[in-house]
Amino acid sequence: MGVTACGALCGRHRQLLLLLARGFCSGFRRFSAEGETHFGFQTVSEAEKGEKVYQVFESVAKKYDVMNDSMSLGIHRLWKDILLHQMNPYPGTQLLDVAGGTGDIAFRFINYIRSQRERQVQQKLRSHQNLSWQEILKSYQEGEQKSLGGSHVVVCDINKEMLTVGKQKACHLGYSEGLSWVVGNAEELPFNDDKFDIYTIAFGIRNVTLIDQALKEAYRVLKPGGRFLCLEFSQVNNPLISRIYDLYSFQIIPVLGEIIAGDWKSYQYLVESIRRFPAQEEFKEMIEDTGFLKVEYRNVSSGIVAIHSGFKL
Amino acid sequence: MLSRSGGRLVASALPRPRGSPQPAPAAAGRGFHAGTAARQAADGAQEQPKPFDPVLLEFLVCPLSKKPLRYEESTNELINDELGIAYPIVDGIPNMIPQAARMTDKKKQEEESE
Repeated sequence: MGVTACGALCGRHRQLLLLLARGFCSGFRRFSAEGETHFGFQTVSEAEKGEKVYQVFESVAKKYDVMNDSMSLGIHRLWKDILLHQMNPYPGTQLLDVAGGTGDIAFRFINYIRSQRERQVQQKLRSHQNLSWQEILKSYQEGEQKSLGGSHVVVCDINKEMLTVGKQKACHLGYSEGLSWVVGNAEELPFNDDKFDIYTIAFGIRNVTLIDQALKEAYRVLKPGGRFLCLEFSQVNNPLISRIYDLYSFQIIPVLGEIIAGDWKSYQYLVESIRRFPAQEEFKEMIEDTGFLKVEYRNVSSGIVAIHSGFKL
Repeated sequence: MLSRSGGRLVASALPRPRGSPQPAPAAAGRGFHAGTAARQAADGAQEQPKPFDPVLLEFLVCPLSKKPLRYEESTNELINDELGIAYPIVDGIPNMIPQAARMTDKKKQEEESE
């Protein structure tokens, strides 16, 4: 299915298709045996891909949020909100947001926890009507000190520029506590085993060179009972929407990229990388192979975006 | 040795800076300025780019060996003594990419002696 779809899209890239077919046949999902991988529709060595991806995000970092809004017509905010609702974190959760760059997921997490916390405190006060004034004062003080209830989010990204933009955003929006920023590689996370309750990677995993390695690291750093959540572009299941989506992706997005961010190539890479990422079922199998259990996915916007979830049990 | 807050008060009260090698300024205003300069250097958090958040130390380990790291304040780096590498901290964000880390001198000396 993937091969014919690609054939419809890129009739010019026959050689690439042959490579792809050979790659599938030899049992490797997307890579050929010589350590090569894809960078959009190009074939590059695995070592090169990391460098090229870094350059893409280094150049788009400052305009990243603006471009997200214009490319997705603001819908990416909805997608991220849906991810948070599916996550449904409670106060005290330790979140690791990989490829978190400009911090969208981290900020939403903090907002969610804050509102949960307020609800918790209100419920507690309501159920203890016969408290003395001292006890009420104490609970208000506790509420202020631990306004996040011990929750913490670590934003990890391989790209320093994206994190710098994220940190500045945090300052402007007033997020200070419960938030940490680390430059790190998703394939080699600088965290100890069994550390985090939830691991998220939103629109990042398709840019990782060795996706299996990133999944293994995710498994490693999650606590037993921890949850893996991946929000990523995926294959559209509706043929009509698929055609409109392809047209929009290849004709409009790179142009927008040139007008707004002055960078055609990076956005060309972005839309190509979406096409090269495995489909929902295949990605689900990859997650299961890593050891996650109860792996599910749900399509959002007819499959333009999919949220994969798995548990370390 | 005066405590930090004590030093601040004394420095702002007296026209002399606390323990600094500079010659004693004449006006109290200069002394106050030196006192705030000392306070700035001591706090670091407000004026300079944010220092490293110690909360992160609980989470961070070396990505290569997964062993805990030591925060070195003088060079603002996270050091893995075992492997002899130091990860820099830029703008309060630690850079845990092995390629960005540098070898500490101890490791270099060991290699030279071999």
